[in-house]
Amino acid sequence: MVAYIKAIWGCRYFWLSLVKMDLRSRYRGSLLGIGWSLLHPIAMTTIICIAFGALFEAPIEKFAPYLMAGLTFWSFISTVTVGGCQSFFNGESYIRQHPAPMAIYPLRTMLGGAFHYSLGLMLVIALAGVMRGYENAWPLFTLIPTLMLLLLFGWSLAILFAVINVRFRDTNHLTEIGLQIMFYLTPVMYYPDLLLKRGVGTFLYFNPMVPFLELLRKPICDCEVPDPTTYLIAAAIVLVSSTAAVVALRSQERQVIFHL
Amino acid sequence: MAQIELDGVGLTFRVQQASRNTLKDFFIGQLFRGNKNPPMEVKALQDLTLRIGKGDRLGIVGHNGAGKSTLLRVLAGIYQPTAGRIKVGGRVSSLFDIALGFEMDGTGWENIAYRSYLQGETPRSVKGKKDAIAEFSELGDFLNMPVRYYSAGMQMRLAFSIATAIDPEILLVDEILSVGDMAFQNKARARMMEMMSRAHLMVMVSHDLKSLAKMCNYAIWLDHGRMLMWGDCDEVIAAYTASVMGPPVKDTASTQAAA
Repeated sequence: MVAYIKAIWGCRYFWLSLVKMDLRSRYRGSLLGIGWSLLHPIAMTTIICIAFGALFEAPIEKFAPYLMAGLTFWSFISTVTVGGCQSFFNGESYIRQHPAPMAIYPLRTMLGGAFHYSLGLMLVIALAGVMRGYENAWPLFTLIPTLMLLLLFGWSLAILFAVINVRFRDTNHLTEIGLQIMFYLTPVMYYPDLLLKRGVGTFLYFNPMVPFLELLRKPICDCEVPDPTTYLIAAAIVLVSSTAAVVALRSQERQVIFHL
Repeated sequence: MAQIELDGVGLTFRVQQASRNTLKDFFIGQLFRGNKNPPMEVKALQDLTLRIGKGDRLGIVGHNGAGKSTLLRVLAGIYQPTAGRIKVGGRVSSLFDIALGFEMDGTGWENIAYRSYLQGETPRSVKGKKDAIAEFSELGDFLNMPVRYYSAGMQMRLAFSIATAIDPEILLVDEILSVGDMAFQNKARARMMEMMSRAHLMVMVSHDLKSLAKMCNYAIWLDHGRMLMWGDCDEVIAAYTASVMGPPVKDTASTQAAA
């Protein structure tokens, strides 16, 4: 295990340069370049605010940052799951040439998503500052451990989806549908109260995305330090997902090439 | 330090006849017998035992589909053998499939950098080599362009220049590469020979028996994944040539076609 992590670290220049190249080629020849990454959540937030803002009867200066925090988080999750499925296929030519640790290919997918997410997160923080202002900005520092957890979570999800998809190509399509369903089951664009008030909130407790959303939103939307138990729950989720990822890689790592 | 030990190594591919393995096949196919898509077994390598050490030059000969390239990939650690044990001591550099693995949107320079990283270089060591690679490739200003716009020949040139800019301990070669136009071919050949002579240990697959005889001291003859013969390079090549030229030998290892 330690040797494996060392091997991943040993080829860091390789996967880092792939991530860099992914980002660069994504914007090559586009007029706005990286601006698209910022414009996308802004556009989505504006549209949903206009369409549903009235429905949810929420004051816009509170709802807009709340919504954007959810949307940017969700696009990260979508990158590591739907995008994660393609990780090994995207790295196929390297896998055929070099016995590098397989975990670096999902890592590449995750880091690309993480870059966009960090841009989105800064945007959310700025938006909340402009629209509403921070009475207390210190809780924002709790985002650092939150992000650490989120990166690990994303990496392990990308590994799991990559491994499963290499065996069963249906996974990619199932994931797309599943993610769509999850989107509506997760308080991304509505407040959890909406479900709790109607007595259908219990399944929020079984949704692994909810603790992460709460950790992200508490300091930005409420200017409060998140509940330590939320951290514990999120850490437990990360522990489960990374254990699953390690187990999956252990058994499948050297089989991947036979299924590409 | 540089050494390779194979002990009864075998590799069996399980190939799906139809190229897909769906969830339906997995669940339903196991519930009801009579799966329409049973995996087919291809015994690519069988019971190979071999020991070579520092200074050795091993050539591999055999028909197409005899398992030569598969063996190289096993030695490189890309395929894990399904039977037996393998021990490879030393840093492995491999020269196969070099035409694969360009990031088409990256410039020539960018591709030089990260392909070198894949070969285990660091930004510092690449800095020293970059110009030598560029010079050898003779691509000049084209290196500032995305690889997407390169001709096939130019891509091969670049790939070759990067792949051969290494100090190999254990070198695995799949065919001596013939790259580029006439002038470049001579240059490339010279560079390849020079690199191969520097390697502490080399394993090489080739249909060019003359070069093989020149470069190697040992050889093995693979047929349907089995070692038909192993020993002094000249003897093995003579026997192999005789079998190809003379009346076709009886197929002793009547296994499935390792196409």
